[in-house]
Amino acid sequence: MWAVLALALCTLVSCTPALEGEDLACAPVEEERLVVYTSHKQEVWWPIVKEFEERTGIWVDVVTGGSSELLQRIAKEEQSPRADVMFGGGVESLASYEDSFAPYISREAEAIPEQFQDPDGLWTPFSSLPVVLIYNTKLVGEGQVTRWSDLLSPYFQGKIAFTDPAVSGSSYTSLVTMICALGGDAEEDLHRFAANLDGRQLESSGDVLTLVADGTDWVGVTLEETALKRIAAGDDIAMVYPTDGTSSVPDGSALVRGAPHEENAKRFLDFTISRDVQQLVAEQSYRRPVRRDVEPAEELADLEELLLVDYNVDWASQNRENLLMSWAFFLGGEEEA
Amino acid sequence: MKTRLTRSFRGRLFVAFLIGSLVPLLLCSAMLLQIFRLRMTENAAAEVRESMDHALNALDTAVEGFVRAAEQLSGDEVVFQALETGSGETTQVYSRLFTATAGLRDYARFDLYDREGIWRYSTLNAPSQRQLPTNWGILGQANREEGLTFVASEDVTNTAVPLLRGGMLLRSPQGETVGYLVISLYQADLRQLLDGTYGSQNDLILLSQYWRPVYCAQPSLAASLAPVLRQQLLLGEALDKISEEFSYQVALQSSTGLYLVLRHPRVFNHDTMALLYTVSASCALVCVLISVLMSLKLSRQMFRPVQRLHTAIGEVVQNNLDVQVPLDRNDELGELAQRFNGMVVALKRNQEELVKNQKELNEAQIRMLQAQLNPHFLCNTLDTMKWISKINQVPQVAVMSTDLADILRFCISPEEFVPLRREVEILERYIEIQKIRLSSAFTFTTHILPELEECLVPKMILQPIVENAILHGLEGVEQGTIRVIARREDEDRISLVVEDNGRGLPPEMAGPYANRDRERSRGHLGLYNVDTILRKYYGEGFGLWLDCGAQGRGAVVRATLPLRWEEETEC
Repeated sequence: MWAVLALALCTLVSCTPALEGEDLACAPVEEERLVVYTSHKQEVWWPIVKEFEERTGIWVDVVTGGSSELLQRIAKEEQSPRADVMFGGGVESLASYEDSFAPYISREAEAIPEQFQDPDGLWTPFSSLPVVLIYNTKLVGEGQVTRWSDLLSPYFQGKIAFTDPAVSGSSYTSLVTMICALGGDAEEDLHRFAANLDGRQLESSGDVLTLVADGTDWVGVTLEETALKRIAAGDDIAMVYPTDGTSSVPDGSALVRGAPHEENAKRFLDFTISRDVQQLVAEQSYRRPVRRDVEPAEELADLEELLLVDYNVDWASQNRENLLMSWAFFLGGEEEA
Repeated sequence: MKTRLTRSFRGRLFVAFLIGSLVPLLLCSAMLLQIFRLRMTENAAAEVRESMDHALNALDTAVEGFVRAAEQLSGDEVVFQALETGSGETTQVYSRLFTATAGLRDYARFDLYDREGIWRYSTLNAPSQRQLPTNWGILGQANREEGLTFVASEDVTNTAVPLLRGGMLLRSPQGETVGYLVISLYQADLRQLLDGTYGSQNDLILLSQYWRPVYCAQPSLAASLAPVLRQQLLLGEALDKISEEFSYQVALQSSTGLYLVLRHPRVFNHDTMALLYTVSASCALVCVLISVLMSLKLSRQMFRPVQRLHTAIGEVVQNNLDVQVPLDRNDELGELAQRFNGMVVALKRNQEELVKNQKELNEAQIRMLQAQLNPHFLCNTLDTMKWISKINQVPQVAVMSTDLADILRFCISPEEFVPLRREVEILERYIEIQKIRLSSAFTFTTHILPELEECLVPKMILQPIVENAILHGLEGVEQGTIRVIARREDEDRISLVVEDNGRGLPPEMAGPYANRDRERSRGHLGLYNVDTILRKYYGEGFGLWLDCGAQGRGAVVRATLPLRWEEETEC
């Protein structure tokens, strides 16, 4: 009797519609897929990914995030990787996760100068991004900031916008560049710079531009591409290449070790440094292409004319922990993990 | 719960009503709901298919037009010349262009680019971007693919750039690239093309071959829904799982490689289901209420007479036999009440009879007690008489007084039952007295089976019968004989028979002793008494039986009584 009741209730409730599986028929097969983790902004990756899909017929699944976050994720997924390619992030960040990546020397490598290449092929460069100094044109006169050593002057104490190098890869690159440019004892330089920051650093690299533009800070350290974009947008910012030396460390991409779609990943890596893409990068952004046969945008200073420090990517990635620890110590903050 | 519910009559009624109403209701609801659902879903699906077909047709028609126009232009000498050499009659080129695109320009613009990707001719104003890269985007695609090929815009939300571009490489008859035909569809164009085709409740999304959004009827969906659709597809999950409220229908436009995704509201979304469930639940609730009311009402209807009977029985238990249940109905319960009333009346009658019997018994006992007054005085007197008569040499008086004293003692002895032997001894004393009185005019014999000598009989049971035989039977008879016979009738009955050879009985008296009315049996009071005693002691099955003697002489009086022994007297 209760069973009948229960049956009736069941029939009453069981109104789940039958699933229609027909729309799954258009899903791509595994061979036509690629999973890309990218720390680039959408305006960078989207045209490239779209064109890649149109040209190759490969469906690209893009996962976006911060570069540290994505690298950690790749490291965590080491046993069964989901990502095929890490697209974006400074090459020394990529190099510091070398266990997660497989070497691949692109077919396009010949067109790329050696300074932008990893001899082991662990990473593939995408664009080169010189470190620059910026200042607020209303608060700082022209010529007052020209070199790294100016940042150590008491005149700018507490007025410097600098991002936490533990958070931002570009900020770490800047820090290493500065050490190289100053040429003195690394610890001493770090100590003096930290003291001049008054123990204050920013959480996001985007904040540097904002704080300098609104006059909270007078000078800042950032990348050429970012600075030019903001200047073009009309902010009261001027940019200088440090006369005591800058670096032109590329950002890049890398093939994930054990990638599920390795062939497609290699095609994507090739595509990112293909002439067409590099040209697009040169035309549509202030990034410097890494190919010899593609000229950077006209606004950009010729790289040959800049003084470049001897930036050792391997040294930078191997000493990352030590430097960050010292930095945190000098800054008076808590010890970094 | 079940036991608690079904323990009371009311609860059982309630459960029965509940099941009787709820089960069919639930079954019906479930069935109706299912039928309704199937029907509605089917209708909705047909409607959606129709909408989809409309949209697909509109797109197909447009694309067919584009292909036709492209074919027409690709074989046109004038266009080749103009693009190849950069010279030529502009008006002529436009004339060809407008002819080829007749009827299509309402929802697309047509541009001709030369082989460098530089814009040359257009059906509308010159575009803001005068040159297109030939290695990228639409021209790149046109370079790689044969015929008309379509590429989506990078930014779906931008109304200023074409959302969909079709491109085709134009080759000279020699096979050299001379330029490109580009067909551009802006958001407004697509809206014009597709609006009204896909149903007002639905939303249409155009996806590229790789499920990137191309056009969304509702622009906000490009960011909110399109990536979800693609993700769902890549995960291999059904699109319908995205939300409870919408279903999706997908169709492929084969010549462009575009997917049309029609989002339509589910017929059975939460609200509808909630409504249907509410209705069902309300019906069930009404059922429960009606069941409660019905069971209360019906049980009250049945319960009231039962309650009255119950009270009446209580009264009877309290020994109030005047109680009567009112008879106000004709059904089974009314009958029951009637029977009950009858039963009470019968009970009352029985009790009254019992009281009467008891009263009679009491009276008899009082009489007996009165009869036992001063018995010793009488016995002693008789003893004295015996001695006086012995002294005075009057032997008859001595014998008589001795016998009388013995009889008297026997009579007033407290035992009610005596062994047959003793009864016969006393009977012989009585005979002795009677022989003196009647000068020995008859003979008396006894035939008692020795085994019956100790069986118990009521005291003074034979004397009245024998007295009757002497006084009435042998009156005026010479050589009268009286025989007393005790014999066994069967396993548990004996009979005591008194025979005489006297005048006999009137024939109508033969058979069971019939004169049970005391008043009418005057003169035969002895027989009446014996009969009454037997019946009172042993029940209606026992008593006297009268018969005529052999050859019509004399009478036979037979007393039947159960065979009892000493130890059974207690019973």
